[in-house]
Amino acid sequence: MTRGRATFFVAAGVLAIPAVCLFPFLWMGLSSLKSARELYAVPPTWLPHAPTLENYRTVLFESNVPRYFLNSVIISLGSTGLALGLAIFASYGFARFEFAGKRASQAFVLAAQLLPTSAIIVPLFITLRVLGLVNTYLGLILVYMILTLPLSVWMLTSYFRAIPVELEEAAIIDGASRAAVLFRVTLPLSLPGLVAVVVYAFVTTWNEFIFALVFAQDSRVKTLPIGIAEFTGEFNTDWGAVMAASLVMTLPIVLLFFGMQRLFVGGLTAGAIKG
Amino acid sequence: MTGVPFVLPALAVLALLILFPVIYTGVLSVTNEQGVFVGLANYRAVAEGRLTATAVWNTVYFVGGSIVFQVVLGTLAGIFLNQQFRGRAVLRSLALIPWVVPGIVAATMWAWMLHTEFGIVNHLLTSGGVVDRSVGWLTDPDIVMPALIAINVWKLFPFVALMVLAGLQTVPHELYESARVDGASFGDEIRHVMLPQIRPVLVSVTLLLMIWGLNAITIIYTITRGGPANRTLVLPIYIYRQAFEAFAFHQAAALSAMFFVFSLVLVWLYLHAFAAQEGRP
Repeated sequence: MTRGRATFFVAAGVLAIPAVCLFPFLWMGLSSLKSARELYAVPPTWLPHAPTLENYRTVLFESNVPRYFLNSVIISLGSTGLALGLAIFASYGFARFEFAGKRASQAFVLAAQLLPTSAIIVPLFITLRVLGLVNTYLGLILVYMILTLPLSVWMLTSYFRAIPVELEEAAIIDGASRAAVLFRVTLPLSLPGLVAVVVYAFVTTWNEFIFALVFAQDSRVKTLPIGIAEFTGEFNTDWGAVMAASLVMTLPIVLLFFGMQRLFVGGLTAGAIKG
Repeated sequence: MTGVPFVLPALAVLALLILFPVIYTGVLSVTNEQGVFVGLANYRAVAEGRLTATAVWNTVYFVGGSIVFQVVLGTLAGIFLNQQFRGRAVLRSLALIPWVVPGIVAATMWAWMLHTEFGIVNHLLTSGGVVDRSVGWLTDPDIVMPALIAINVWKLFPFVALMVLAGLQTVPHELYESARVDGASFGDEIRHVMLPQIRPVLVSVTLLLMIWGLNAITIIYTITRGGPANRTLVLPIYIYRQAFEAFAFHQAAALSAMFFVFSLVLVWLYLHAFAAQEGRP
């Protein structure tokens, strides 16, 4: 029995995966530490000869990036919190009760997840303008429900279903109310699912581009992706500053993701495949 | 006690943000700026628009090209990450990096790496003797779309790998053992044990990739804004331009409605093709 091909396959993967996945990231980091002179040198240098934090100084003290960072934090936390709150109740309703229109509602939630967002951006903009929500935190937080709420409901529903209903019945017999059961019994048992929803919703809103481009046109509410696009949009792109700003934007996501990776990946695949 | 009060708030929010705009799109698309019913005039204007066919073709090109490579490379990566080897846990984490990185960051870092004059990719290729002179990855009209597809593949193949990995972990060990008893090679194992088992995963993953691909705008818009010479003008960018640069809201709504139907047709065709295939032995 020859396992030679399998060995070759594994060896190729061990070499290719880190190179393909890590190199662009590494190059971004190295470029962010180079002076303008070195960035535009031909041929390019690999390691920065004279590492400098100049690009970070530009980004942190001479641009709108700190403000955009704050806006991104507020909007991402707001929409994550709102999605989590709405999804907890909706998922509990779907997982534990039978009612008329349940199947249709669930189909609607699934369809919402598959909706091409560009197709509704025009009427959404008009609606928000009428409600006075363009260029507000609340407007973006609400709009991000389109992206985060459906999958959150989907993931949490499958989590709640997996919890034995007997545990809840025991608490009800002991005199607990439905709300008490949900918050004292079901939620503590669904912690991995809740973490998955939080990470998913936060990362999605933190990275989102097109809604932010349309609904946040004022620097008081613009988010980081728009800030970075502004850097590159002009004819003289300051590539050093762009790389530094990109790194600043990526760091929270990488920390969050790898901090919770085990829980997150488990929760996501459970929702996507078993759901 | 019923579940309705539990699900109502979430459904109300989604209805306000999705159902209402979908209906409103339809209304906008058959009226003019004064709110007067104009029939299909907006649709006709869009259909006769010089750029509509270009945008449709570019979208199909981008989505189709992306999916093929995402699924093939993602499946290979998923199978690889399911093998037994030292350092597997580390590589599983590393492989997720492209997917975790924000789309805008993927766009800026690749735009810098593919820069015609100062990019590291052209430096490696020219100094290695692969090409004679620098390639205009993001400026040459014939190369820019494949380059953007490559970036999009890089961004999303980890997602396919993750799903394939999850699917492979449910494959019973006995299947491999009996295949090996029958003298199956590694290639046979992939073809006859792994692929049939992860087929349902691949079907739903492809569907998701299709929808994401149709929606993709971040990478393309950031790098090319739809240029050069409209060669990367995909439908979402076209809609954005019509609405927020030309301020032709009603035509943009007609375009949105057509995009919506176009997406549904593509998804339907895909599901139909798959269902037909499923019927055969």
